[in-house]
Amino acid sequence: MTVLLPLLLALGAAPVVLVAGVLGARPAAWASIVMAALACGATLWGRWAGGGALDVAWAPSWGLRLTFALDGLAVLYALLATGIGVAVLLYSARYLPLHLEHQGRPARDAIRFYALIVLFMGAMVGLVMAQDLLLIFVFWDLTAIASYYLIGYDRHKAESRAAALMALLVTGISAVLLLIGLLLLQALYGTFALPAIVERATPGPAQTLAAGLIAAGALVKSAQVPAHFWLPRAMAAPTPVSAYLHSAAMVAAGVFLLGRIYPLLRLSPFLLDLLLVVGLLSMIFGSVLALTRDVLKQILAYSTIAQYGYVVVMLSLGTSAGVVGAAFYVIAHALAKSALFLTAGTVTEVTGEDRLSRLGGQWRGLPVLAAASGVAAAGLGALPLTIGFFKDELFFKAALERGWPFAALATLGAALTLAYVWHFWSGIFLGPLRGEAGRPPLPLVAPIVALGLLVAVGGVAVAPAADLAEAAGRVAFADLQPVEPAYHLDARPENLLALATYALAATIIAARPRWFRLAAATARLGERVGPERWYAAGLVRLNRSSRALLALEVRDLRSRIATVLVPTAVLVAIGLWATPTEGAFRVGRITVTDLPTVLGLLLAAVGALVATVPRRPLTLILALSSVGYSLAAVFAFLGAPDVALVAVLIETILTLLFLGVLALFPAELLKDQAVGPAPRPSLRWRNVGVGLGAGAFAFAVGWATLSQPAAQESVAVQHIRLTPAAHAKDVVTAILADFRGLDTMGEITVIAIALLGIAALLGRRERPMASDERRATSDERASGEEKRRREGR
Amino acid sequence: MTVLTRVIARLLLPSTLITAIAVLVKGYGDVGDGFSAAVIAAFGVLLQYVAFGHRAAARALPLRAMPAVSFAGLLLALLVTFGPVLRGQAPLAHSPAPGADVIYLGTLELHTALVFDLGVFLLVFGFAVGAIDLIAGATDRERGQGPL
Repeated sequence: MTVLLPLLLALGAAPVVLVAGVLGARPAAWASIVMAALACGATLWGRWAGGGALDVAWAPSWGLRLTFALDGLAVLYALLATGIGVAVLLYSARYLPLHLEHQGRPARDAIRFYALIVLFMGAMVGLVMAQDLLLIFVFWDLTAIASYYLIGYDRHKAESRAAALMALLVTGISAVLLLIGLLLLQALYGTFALPAIVERATPGPAQTLAAGLIAAGALVKSAQVPAHFWLPRAMAAPTPVSAYLHSAAMVAAGVFLLGRIYPLLRLSPFLLDLLLVVGLLSMIFGSVLALTRDVLKQILAYSTIAQYGYVVVMLSLGTSAGVVGAAFYVIAHALAKSALFLTAGTVTEVTGEDRLSRLGGQWRGLPVLAAASGVAAAGLGALPLTIGFFKDELFFKAALERGWPFAALATLGAALTLAYVWHFWSGIFLGPLRGEAGRPPLPLVAPIVALGLLVAVGGVAVAPAADLAEAAGRVAFADLQPVEPAYHLDARPENLLALATYALAATIIAARPRWFRLAAATARLGERVGPERWYAAGLVRLNRSSRALLALEVRDLRSRIATVLVPTAVLVAIGLWATPTEGAFRVGRITVTDLPTVLGLLLAAVGALVATVPRRPLTLILALSSVGYSLAAVFAFLGAPDVALVAVLIETILTLLFLGVLALFPAELLKDQAVGPAPRPSLRWRNVGVGLGAGAFAFAVGWATLSQPAAQESVAVQHIRLTPAAHAKDVVTAILADFRGLDTMGEITVIAIALLGIAALLGRRERPMASDERRATSDERASGEEKRRREGR
Repeated sequence: MTVLTRVIARLLLPSTLITAIAVLVKGYGDVGDGFSAAVIAAFGVLLQYVAFGHRAAARALPLRAMPAVSFAGLLLALLVTFGPVLRGQAPLAHSPAPGADVIYLGTLELHTALVFDLGVFLLVFGFAVGAIDLIAGATDRERGQGPL
């Protein structure tokens, strides 16, 4: 129950929101808020009740189970996903109508938004509770799909669509790595259950590879260097999406997964060192680039890259302080960062500006917002009296345990963080007044104040957050030493490092003119030769090669068929050459009773020969269908009425379809085909050669097969024996619907897909129209109806 | 098309459909199965196309629903295939199991394999009629008659 309730509330939220959406956008907004709050409450209750586990076998014959557990790690991330979700949804309930109004979109579009946000929330809660590798993968991909629609929510903007596609491709491709890693683990340890795998795991190259692949997928999701470029692009999303996905949910999924498989990662020191390098690079690059950005949300995006770099560094330091610190860091960061994202949204909403260079002095008009986001910024910058102070305390402690060089890097990272947080906050709220601000509506400020309060309360009473983090760390790290973050008013190294951080940050801020050129040049260099370029180039290459392949394929139908027939003939020839031919080609006897069969076959052969002559399509189709009917007759003579019936029916319907498609071609084209110039002789001889070669080898195989009757009891005999047991009298039907039913299932699925394809190609096209064009059409329709009515009268 | 063709076409529709249903339900005892039945039924509908033209046939028959019929068939077949998996059996484990008693409806044996065949029937019927309807509709548009 403790597991089921949060899970069901989170996963059921999206349908509930859609149902509420029938009443309108406002009820949908409230439904989403209530569902998120209920899910959050249920998670808290589950934690209070001591967690629990759920294990249901849903396909036991295939070894598939639904296993969920509400352990420390799950509680932490589920609380973040649902709690920040409530704040973001409260904000969206006011923000989204404004956003849609600016864009001239109907208010009902918001329903989709709320449904997608809570769908994401449900996927996230499912992901963090899943204990089964396949479930983890399913929920992982569900988050990617939901994020695709959320990032591309402003679908009329090309920029949003491109960003959504980029996020989907980058995280989707890396999800394939994750899948390979998961399947490798299954192959190694024979189970999909993660706890069992953790118990059985032993160090080794295969285990390292599997854990490495999973970690690679996780790092991409957390936007770590060099796969970080999708995150700044994803800022094209509406602000609440960024506040949710890119602070507390989607990017957090990556480090969550690292925490989930941490026992496996720990087995390989090499892997941890690799993670350490990636984390450090992300931390430094993200921070430096954040310092150079001008657009508010871009600063925050690069900051997220840097902050998750911290988390990865802490995890890979491999100490108790590091693992607990990573969990703690995620909490502190999610609270502060979502508040800052929402601040950016509100400021842009009331001033219409989204760049630091056009903003300033806003504290006069927005004092409450300035104070609340100031607290959040202080939290991110790790100032005392905020929850952020402890995240850096743990960070320094973990780094010190590893050695002084790491402590130095940690100090540098923390100082850069403080510097860009100052850059962000002071740029908006301090200095000379720039940008006209209106009065923000209450719901655009209240969630920020609430988050700011949490950041401040966490700075005074650290125990609740620390407990959460320790419980999460215990899941990842069985032999955990208790780590108690607290204020210590003495000269211990952590405190000295914090002081050094503040001093260094002040220097960085003061010396901004000196280093700015260098940092901007780094950013430009990154844009010019960075991984985003590789991604774009790769995409262009891929597109080009696919186009080239398509051009090759559709250029000429005959060469396309030749590319299938010739390799087949070659392979068959190799097969014939390799197998002994003694007794393989026998000539049987033909008796009088075989006469009808022989006649039918002769007819078929004549039909096939005739089909090579005509150039008028209609004649060709009729010649081909005569081959089919002759073969159907042969089946009937051989005593296979079922096959004969199907053959006749198929032949008829194929002929009709052919004729129907023929009617679609322009008459001139068909005429050209019939009376136009003959193909070049060289091509003609090639065609004849290909046809004869393929036919000869097919003939050889057919002959060889028929020369050797099966010795042992064949499958056919077995099927005939089993037919009465399957409550059938007709073997063919029993085979189709029972013995080989899965094959039938696959085949009819193909038919359904073919129908979809036909409908997409030939169905009534509904092209997206500009709104005035649509209005014109509806006017036409209205007048047409009027006319019809008049005529009817 | 002559009046005679039209009359015969109209008369043939019900009898074709009945033949198709017979082929479907008798599939387990005699020649034929869901697939053949579907194609036979499709011929009955297609004859209306030939006799009355696409537009008139589309007005008289619920052709718009064909893709839906097709996918209903797919769902039915999927249900019969993977339903047993949920109960811990092999996929497509039919009930009643081999050897168990079957409920008779006249001479018709009630068996989940029949439901599977019904799924195949709906899918193929929807495909055949739907595909030809789409092609005929496209032909109409090509000839400038515009959509219905």
